[in-house]
Amino acid sequence: MLSTLIQNFNYTLFRFLYPLPVLLFILSCSEEPKIESFSIPSEYDGPIVSWKLPPNWGENPDLSGPMAGSFHVKTKSGPQGRIGVMPFRENVSTVDVANMFGREMGYPPFNQENLTPFLQEKKIGDRTFEWVYLNSKVETASSPPRTALLALLRQDKDTWLFPFIADQKLVLKESENFIQFLESCSLRSEKNKPILARSPAPLPKTGNTNSAKPLKNPWSWSKPSTWSEGKASSMRIGSYKVAGPNGTQLDISVTSFPGDVGGLLANVNRWIGQIDLAPIQEASLDQYCSSITLAGNSAHLVEAYGEEKAVLAGTLFLEKESWFFKLIGNRTLAEKEKSNFISFLNSISLRGETE
Amino acid sequence: MKESKRKNSLSQRRKNFSFLIPFASLRLTITLLSLSMILIFVATLEQVRIGIRGALAEYFESFYGIWYYPEKFWGGEYLHSLPLPIPGGYLLGGLLIINLTAAYIVRFQWTGKKIGIQLIHLGIILLLVGQLVTQAIQEESRMTINKGERSNYIERFHGVELALRNVTDPDQERVVTIPQNLLEKGGTLIDQSLPFTLKVHHFGVNCNFDFVAPGTPKSKIAQMVNRGVGQSANLNITDKDEDFSGDGMNFGYLVFELTDQGKSLGNWMTISHPAGSHVWSQISPKLADLSFQSIRHNGKLWGITLRQKREYLPFSIELLDIEHENYQGTEIPFNFESDIKLHLDENQTRRALVYMNTPLRHGGKTFYQYQMNDSANYTVFQVISNPSWLVPYIACILVSIGMLWQFSFHLFKFLRKNSKTPAKA
Repeated sequence: MLSTLIQNFNYTLFRFLYPLPVLLFILSCSEEPKIESFSIPSEYDGPIVSWKLPPNWGENPDLSGPMAGSFHVKTKSGPQGRIGVMPFRENVSTVDVANMFGREMGYPPFNQENLTPFLQEKKIGDRTFEWVYLNSKVETASSPPRTALLALLRQDKDTWLFPFIADQKLVLKESENFIQFLESCSLRSEKNKPILARSPAPLPKTGNTNSAKPLKNPWSWSKPSTWSEGKASSMRIGSYKVAGPNGTQLDISVTSFPGDVGGLLANVNRWIGQIDLAPIQEASLDQYCSSITLAGNSAHLVEAYGEEKAVLAGTLFLEKESWFFKLIGNRTLAEKEKSNFISFLNSISLRGETE
Repeated sequence: MKESKRKNSLSQRRKNFSFLIPFASLRLTITLLSLSMILIFVATLEQVRIGIRGALAEYFESFYGIWYYPEKFWGGEYLHSLPLPIPGGYLLGGLLIINLTAAYIVRFQWTGKKIGIQLIHLGIILLLVGQLVTQAIQEESRMTINKGERSNYIERFHGVELALRNVTDPDQERVVTIPQNLLEKGGTLIDQSLPFTLKVHHFGVNCNFDFVAPGTPKSKIAQMVNRGVGQSANLNITDKDEDFSGDGMNFGYLVFELTDQGKSLGNWMTISHPAGSHVWSQISPKLADLSFQSIRHNGKLWGITLRQKREYLPFSIELLDIEHENYQGTEIPFNFESDIKLHLDENQTRRALVYMNTPLRHGGKTFYQYQMNDSANYTVFQVISNPSWLVPYIACILVSIGMLWQFSFHLFKFLRKNSKTPAKA
């Protein structure tokens, strides 16, 4: 009786084992990759704009940078003119906007006073626009005079800019269409949501992410021969100076701070303030910043020249700390030392990699 | 009578499954186990060179691997150039399963006495099969949540997808995703949800990228880009081999063309960031648009992103608080802890603490505490999805019962025999 039971039990086990190859075969047949399509609640934080385009206008498909919409006028000689929709999160001044386009039109920098003749208010539908009309001051025989027509709309805390840049004749011809286009626009601003999550690299295995202790120097670098040791300070991890003719001097420092100490924009504005330049908005960061690689990490090179002074800086934002390699001082001397400073930045590597 | 019946049963099975007899050899078992030891030795050596993930892919998740004798070892200068084929994990594991199964059928006696042995072998077979199944279906992902926010998706550590999002409707977006396998195959991709056709020109799992000054010569891949960030930031990219090392970062890239009714809309370039596309804006304002390259087409606003493969969950997790402790007087982490709220259907919620070695299990997924950043107020969970996670436990229980049965059987037999022996005067 017992043996029959065991025998049956074993046959049950056997029956369980027998389909194994079949099971393995099924598992090996993985699903064919395919394109999937689904709907989710909107995660898009950017601006959404809808409009009705005049029939003779065309849309540019590519929207790089701050543009929420980009158009052209269809003419017999092809697409002409630049028409755009640009949202700003902040309440930018009309003077700043006028200066963005004024240089292209050959105007000196505007201020509140000298902008007044170019500025008027225009009511379109229920909305009131600030209307700036800049006719080109630069005229050449080969290119006809141009116009920048700037329409600014203040909505809640945001500013929407609609620039229309084209030949003067085309702007005049299309001004009615431009007004109808502005009237047809419905606008949703960018959600002002700060990006917090930042994990550009896996955490180190020891994993301490909240150290308030002074940071040790993990870097090694080569000092150019023209540099001598500079003033020591508890804030500085490296300090050098360069003495030039007529008492001119450059101060080079290596400093580090926990966190991002306000980020790139705040630091660039602090440094350009030190050489008497006006602060900038985030959109203008490219004016002073370019991307470089510091010790294998993506970093920024800040390069700003004032009338008398200049600042060059390599900025490295790591996960839990920021590193600044900065040169500041006389402009002529800084221009001369730029190649040495770049070599210095290129020589930076993690200790142990070169030792 | 019983003994002859058993033998008859075994000989009947040997007759029925005679083709299995060569596979049931004990010599084969010993050979396979010896080769397994060699495989582990070689893979451990190679781990130093190519990292854990590389060694796993090269030697364990394959049928064979090619090993080069280390140059630094004795005689390395002569032997290093010689390629040595090493049997891979799939081959050895598969053969072991066949070997054990064959032995089970044509060598073992299916009797009560031997049931312990059979259970042990069944447990080992189950362990091997479980491992194969795990390899085939286990998925590792991560979930990053900012403090005070909720997340309802996980992203794979490895593998990317191209996401095309129609965000014209402020309330709901339509997402079309193209998996990495299709991008690797290349060619023209058409889907009824897309108003344009996408043609893959170049795809790679890793690349070097950099800004170049206007007029500087660029790689062939970058030269063809005339739209989007690749063009506005004047990006140059060059293909690079996948980095298998533990802290290696792979930047997948794709150069593609969009066409509508045969008319080209332009060529774009997109790059994936292994830590998530939100990181681009922190690297450079010029690269910020890589997280969402806007394209307007037929009055609709589309955004294109190459991102880590994403899976949306039917629930969401809210990060209420994070805590991070070190051993006193040291910087060695003692505990990472995330206080979370699980948002389920119909406004049901569940509070949980996730900390080291105490994961959250929900919906067939296990959420382990993985990374944390107090200063930036976010936590990262490693999310493992493995439907066969119970198999190793069942296998170990089977082996334990089998061993207990077998030893007890012999113990009782020994004790019975002893009790029958007359005591000496």
